[in-house]
Amino acid sequence: MGRENSMEKKVLVFEAARCTGCRICEQWCSVHHFGMAGPSLSRITIIRDHVNQIDNGIICHQCVDAPCIASCKFDALSKDGTTGAIIVDARKCTGCRLCIRACPHGAVRMHPGEKYVLICDLCAGEPQCALHCPEKAVQYLERGKAERPYRSALVRGLAGRGKRYER
Amino acid sequence: MSDDDRIRAFLGDVLRVNLSKGNISREELPMEAVRRFIGGRGLGAWYLYNEVGPEADPLGPANRLIFMNGPLVGTPLPACNKINLCFKSPLTSGYSYSLCGGHWGPELRFSGRTGLIIEGASREPVYLWIDDDEIELRPADRLWGRTVPETEELLRAELGGDELVQIACIGPAGEMLNRMACITAGRFREFGRGGCGAVMGSKRLKAIAVRGTGTVRFDDVAGVMGLAERLTADLLIQPKTIERRNYGTAEFLKGINDNGFLCTRNFSGTHFEEGHLLEGPRMREAIVVGDSSCFACPVACGKRSYVKTRDGRRMLLEGPEFETIALLGSNCGVSDWESLVEATLVCDEYGFDTMNAGACVSLAMECFEKGIITIRDTGGMELRFGNGAALVSLLRMMAERRGIGDILAEGVRCASERFGAPELAMHSRGQALPAYDPRGCKSMALAYATSPKGAHHMFSPTMGHEIAAGTRLSYEGKGALHMENQMEMCAVDSLGICSTVRGSFNISEQARAFGLVTGMKLDVEGLKLAAERTINLERIYNARLGFSRKDDTLPKRILCEPVPSGPSAGETVDLDRLLDEYYSQMGWNLEDGLPTRERLLTLGLLDPDAV
Repeated sequence: MGRENSMEKKVLVFEAARCTGCRICEQWCSVHHFGMAGPSLSRITIIRDHVNQIDNGIICHQCVDAPCIASCKFDALSKDGTTGAIIVDARKCTGCRLCIRACPHGAVRMHPGEKYVLICDLCAGEPQCALHCPEKAVQYLERGKAERPYRSALVRGLAGRGKRYER
Repeated sequence: MSDDDRIRAFLGDVLRVNLSKGNISREELPMEAVRRFIGGRGLGAWYLYNEVGPEADPLGPANRLIFMNGPLVGTPLPACNKINLCFKSPLTSGYSYSLCGGHWGPELRFSGRTGLIIEGASREPVYLWIDDDEIELRPADRLWGRTVPETEELLRAELGGDELVQIACIGPAGEMLNRMACITAGRFREFGRGGCGAVMGSKRLKAIAVRGTGTVRFDDVAGVMGLAERLTADLLIQPKTIERRNYGTAEFLKGINDNGFLCTRNFSGTHFEEGHLLEGPRMREAIVVGDSSCFACPVACGKRSYVKTRDGRRMLLEGPEFETIALLGSNCGVSDWESLVEATLVCDEYGFDTMNAGACVSLAMECFEKGIITIRDTGGMELRFGNGAALVSLLRMMAERRGIGDILAEGVRCASERFGAPELAMHSRGQALPAYDPRGCKSMALAYATSPKGAHHMFSPTMGHEIAAGTRLSYEGKGALHMENQMEMCAVDSLGICSTVRGSFNISEQARAFGLVTGMKLDVEGLKLAAERTINLERIYNARLGFSRKDDTLPKRILCEPVPSGPSAGETVDLDRLLDEYYSQMGWNLEDGLPTRERLLTLGLLDPDAV
């Protein structure tokens, strides 16, 4: 893999410890791409674990070697040259769902009404979810800095299920 | 496409479920009524007026549950997540409405629906499963008898374990027709007051699970997003919002207690000397571990609390909220978080309103202290003010309808009559008084006495204004203040906006938002007119049942017993003076407190067959 340009180095980072479950990110994502609101049209999904009262985000991690692209048999997925985001060619996508199974983060979803998949395109370098999250639970950071929040969360014992609320 | 069809595409339709026949049908939104009543509470009142007549038994099949989202619900505008429920109340026997935040209303909206009407009654326990357009009634025998959290977990597992399914359900309290039972959505958000949980229980409907993968469209996309961005930015810097974020609704407690109008020991006092232990910062320090948001709300006033209960259980809950802290706390003389949280958990698990429940316990405590009930009635319990363990035990008895709890589950009014001490029940029309003692905040007397659902603070929460303006003890202009406030509340309740954000999302922004979303023209005057029309319709719904000025009343204690000490010492409430001014403002008759012919004509409500 060659040298990345500066934008290609940036990725989305989600911190469950900051998320309050307002789902404003989903709203901006769906309206930005489709001109209408609907969590099922959003490339980011916030899921509340109702028993443990934890809100977690399902997002594309902009993998360096993307398993979704590798899994596609129809040449429908590629990387954007500038941002490094996954670009879906809706005409080539057959809706076979191989990429959904290949994604280690569960971040690929079927369009609820069409035959192609939805994958985060980083809004051409201005990801609306990160821009509008009032909690800064979604951030757009350089890949080299992306693990910092996770590492801190681990140290604070927040990553383990149920551990978050032990006092 | 006609104008009406275009607007219907923005708002969704209405689902009607008849439990007696097992019929499920879809109907169009009545656009003429939307123009006149907006949505949410207004449209719900319109449906209830037309569909649930005066003869309907609140716990019989003729009563209906009318769930109606506001037109802004599901849009990215901040805190537009409130769904309203209209029903005839088994607690007051009159009109009732209740609003629920969280994520259930928006999910219903994303399934394509503004509203859901439940009618009739099922013979066997059932639940309703709305999976976009696949809708069915399913047997709920496995769920019947289960608590709220058990029901949610079992049902979610049955539906494939999807955490995105939003569930509203009743607990055992609703099944047992406890008249203060609520409907709980998303585990910790309630349609709280008036006993709608008992109505759902009487219909043997255990739960309504919803999954919606559809979309919400709006007329002016750029306009809506611009407004959402601007309002959100403003909300995040408002001092009031920041307080609310830090301490939840508990931020209220200090101001109310310091000003001497916090319900204390069944309203025998208005200042709780241990109140500092219950203030927001103390709560944050003692039990709060995180923040929780309702749909599309940047405030996140929900506080997640983590506690170990006396019986060793580790429990997570959202709350307690201010009214809960006051009615179960100060009003029962209880100031320790352990008891308060456990009491809240009992109400949450069994599914009944913490406010009415607290008023029942405080009534029983005062009766015990006065010797009206004794240790024989309480099963050996020393039911004195301040006894936190007794508070929790009595709530369990109410939840399970055991012993004296069976009487108290009928609500504070019925229970006090059974005890032979009606003067000790702090209610109006059967609905327990909220936390603010109106002797120390006069306009709240009007809110409690004239609310169509019985004593309710959010009908017209004027206390913040009265404290800020330093006018809480004066009578001047309180009718006008109350009128203005109730209109503004009716507007947010009808649009589907949470009242928490109305500092930034004010009435002119609301009118603008309605226009941007629906493409319908509406100015502030038009919005206020719809609100006034709704309040008058609620009034004539109750008038049809025989309610009038004689029912706009408050407990004798509030009217005649001066506050014994504290910043409101010596105060009572001259309710007639307040009512006269308010009725005049509303264009209602002074004798019976009902809308005049002229007023109804102006509002287009004169023909009772065509409201």
